[in-house]
Amino acid sequence: MRRRNLLIASVLLLVATSCRRANRPASAVAIPRPTQYELRLGKEVYQSYCIGCHGDSGAGDGFNAFNLDPHPRDLSDPVFQKGKSNAELADAVRRGGAGVGLTSLMPPWGHTLDDRHIDAVVLYIRSMRR
Amino acid sequence: MTLRRLFALSSLAFLIVLAFSPVKNALRPYRALQRQFRLVGIARASSGKAAEAYSSRPIAIQQVWIPELNNRVDRCTTCHLGVVDAAMTTATEPFRTHPPTFHTPRDVQRFGCTACHGGEGLATDQADAHGTSADATSPILPADLIEAGCGRCHDAEAVRDAPTLSAGRALMTKSNCFACHKARGHEDFRADAPPLETLSMKTGAEWLRRWLSNPKAVDANATMPNFQLTGDDIKVLSHYLFARPVPPQLQHAIELAGAEPNGDSARGKTLFAESRCISCHTVGGKGNGSAPELGTIASRASRGWLIAFVRDPHAFYPQTKMPRYSFTDADVRDIVAWFEDELKDFDAPANILTPLRVNQTFAEKGEKLFKSAGCFACHSGVKEGERFGPDLYGIGDRKATSLDFGKLTDLPRTLAGWLDAKITTPRSFASGLKMPTFAFDAAQKRAIVTALLAMPATAVPDAYHSSPVQQAAIVPAGPVGEIMTRYRCLSCHQIGRAGGDISTAPLTFEGSKVNHDWLVNYLAVPYSIRPIIAERMPVLKVSKEEAGRLADAIAMIYVDPSTPDDPFLGRPASDHDAAEGERLYTTFGCRSCHIIGKIGGYYGPPLTETKARLKPGWVFRFLQNPQRWRADVRCPNYGMTDTDALRLTAYLETLAEAPAVPVAAAAPARKEAAK
Repeated sequence: MRRRNLLIASVLLLVATSCRRANRPASAVAIPRPTQYELRLGKEVYQSYCIGCHGDSGAGDGFNAFNLDPHPRDLSDPVFQKGKSNAELADAVRRGGAGVGLTSLMPPWGHTLDDRHIDAVVLYIRSMRR
Repeated sequence: MTLRRLFALSSLAFLIVLAFSPVKNALRPYRALQRQFRLVGIARASSGKAAEAYSSRPIAIQQVWIPELNNRVDRCTTCHLGVVDAAMTTATEPFRTHPPTFHTPRDVQRFGCTACHGGEGLATDQADAHGTSADATSPILPADLIEAGCGRCHDAEAVRDAPTLSAGRALMTKSNCFACHKARGHEDFRADAPPLETLSMKTGAEWLRRWLSNPKAVDANATMPNFQLTGDDIKVLSHYLFARPVPPQLQHAIELAGAEPNGDSARGKTLFAESRCISCHTVGGKGNGSAPELGTIASRASRGWLIAFVRDPHAFYPQTKMPRYSFTDADVRDIVAWFEDELKDFDAPANILTPLRVNQTFAEKGEKLFKSAGCFACHSGVKEGERFGPDLYGIGDRKATSLDFGKLTDLPRTLAGWLDAKITTPRSFASGLKMPTFAFDAAQKRAIVTALLAMPATAVPDAYHSSPVQQAAIVPAGPVGEIMTRYRCLSCHQIGRAGGDISTAPLTFEGSKVNHDWLVNYLAVPYSIRPIIAERMPVLKVSKEEAGRLADAIAMIYVDPSTPDDPFLGRPASDHDAAEGERLYTTFGCRSCHIIGKIGGYYGPPLTETKARLKPGWVFRFLQNPQRWRADVRCPNYGMTDTDALRLTAYLETLAEAPAVPVAAAAPARKEAAK
């Protein structure tokens, strides 16, 4: 019995690994887009803490932006979005501009927001891509 | 021979019948899903060991059993196999990982699934589990109403991470739903609609007709819903309202005020702007909107009434949130003169404020209608335990088949659909229904339906209940309490958990925060501390003596025991510390939000006059943890060391310039922005 199970498992594994490469692009397409529900926490966080400088659409045109030199990042810029991984974005939110070698005008939020809020706001930032 | 054949046949039939059950079981959809999950898992497995774990998963019913939560058994994980499996975040349903929330994944074993989502936990096929039929006891909550699940355990009006539920609950309170409907936790609700005794001296028959036909059309800020009254209804109600006797002192005050000479309109305009009336009211739609629109106020109320009311609003309307300003008699005359000059409906007929000549027969009919239409529920208060409309107890657990859809045959047979129609067009279900029509938009309706679905038939066990900490605001008795009541501090400010939300500054620890002398001056002549916020502290014309008394009391009562008076006690600050603090101010990028001198952002309050305004102990404690002061403070917690916080405090305490009020034109005023 055990032997048979093992056999089945190894066959399945073989099939699976052989399928894996072929399946990759298909599964990448099948990644479900975050629902409004999943975005809502990130939206709440963004509109509380980020909107003042980064603006409603993420374009870096918040009402406080005109004071700031360097100017706040345009988060909706596709080039910027493509160049940064989720982990890098979360890190910049957590440690602030100074923490990642940029301007200290972007404060660190790691002591104010918890990981769940930071991950949520990164997900929301992703949804702002033009 | 025939008998034998018969026996053989019946045995065969018996065997087939016996085999039916195992075959049916083998074909149940969850078994196919579980086999599919094995493959999905293996394809996503990061190691051979993980793949083997997926492949050796038994094909069997999975369940979470929680005896202490009404003996709940949830078998949802029989199909939703990836709920707590981090490898399934990008899988498709039903295998997808549950998105992270405050309670998931950590509380799955404590709550199960149906406590939040609804649905039939015991069922193992999709239609039964999701309760898609109209007679399901617990249909699953649709995603856009999911926060109703939070409200079944969380009683507070504002529930963290549940903005829709919180908005719905707040809206129900604001719309006076509980004046007519009994609901758990709202048994003592009292509507604060204005008394109607002085109406006959306030307005005219034409204005009242317009108001009663549709209050929102007259004033967008109106709380009163549309009762869809007929022309006859409006006529008899008007006669009743104009027949009500005016209390003698108020009548006297209105008559005397009406006979006063005209004021100075230009001065009134300045006074109106200085007093920051639009921190609550609107003029032409501009302003906070929690109090009536004043754009056409002079076509709404008579001059005598307005003058008498602004002088003493509390005599007319004891529950009002409006403070009694310390205006002089001439101030009020001037303000009302400006109303008469400019805040008028210039298209209104000349008779808009002409009173009605009362016909007693109509008035008697009107009195009956006032009772039978339910007007009294908001305007005169109701007796203990008596409500005009049906109870809302357990409304969130009503079966769709038990609901009366009446004439509405094209509605989906669901509770959510029924509730939505009830708050959209309440009278379309049948004739003779009495609920008025509210002008809620789609988002508001969704919020209210969420709040209604959160009202369960049976309350969750105490161990699962999260009740808000009831904490009444501490307002001292005696003269200081009277001053605070007079100026209605709590209409805008919070003290503890009570009070309004117009101001961003809670008064709970105000005594530990600001310097006494600064506060005396500020109360006498308030100015804008946060330049971007439209709602500013009204200039209440508080006398120096009252301001002194208030500041004394605040310094004594509203203090935080953990905030030191002198943070430098035993470790005095040196010039070097202040210089280091200045360097830290730059390193932390404080200037992106704060102004010192002429440089900095408009998000936080300017810090130019810190020494005069803020106590060093408070600055020190605030820098250590800004959110301790108020959970939604936007200033980030920098996690700075005590030494850094002290040095920064030392620097900020060197800033003693006179307050330079920034030019608001440079930064457009934003509501909400820095709340």
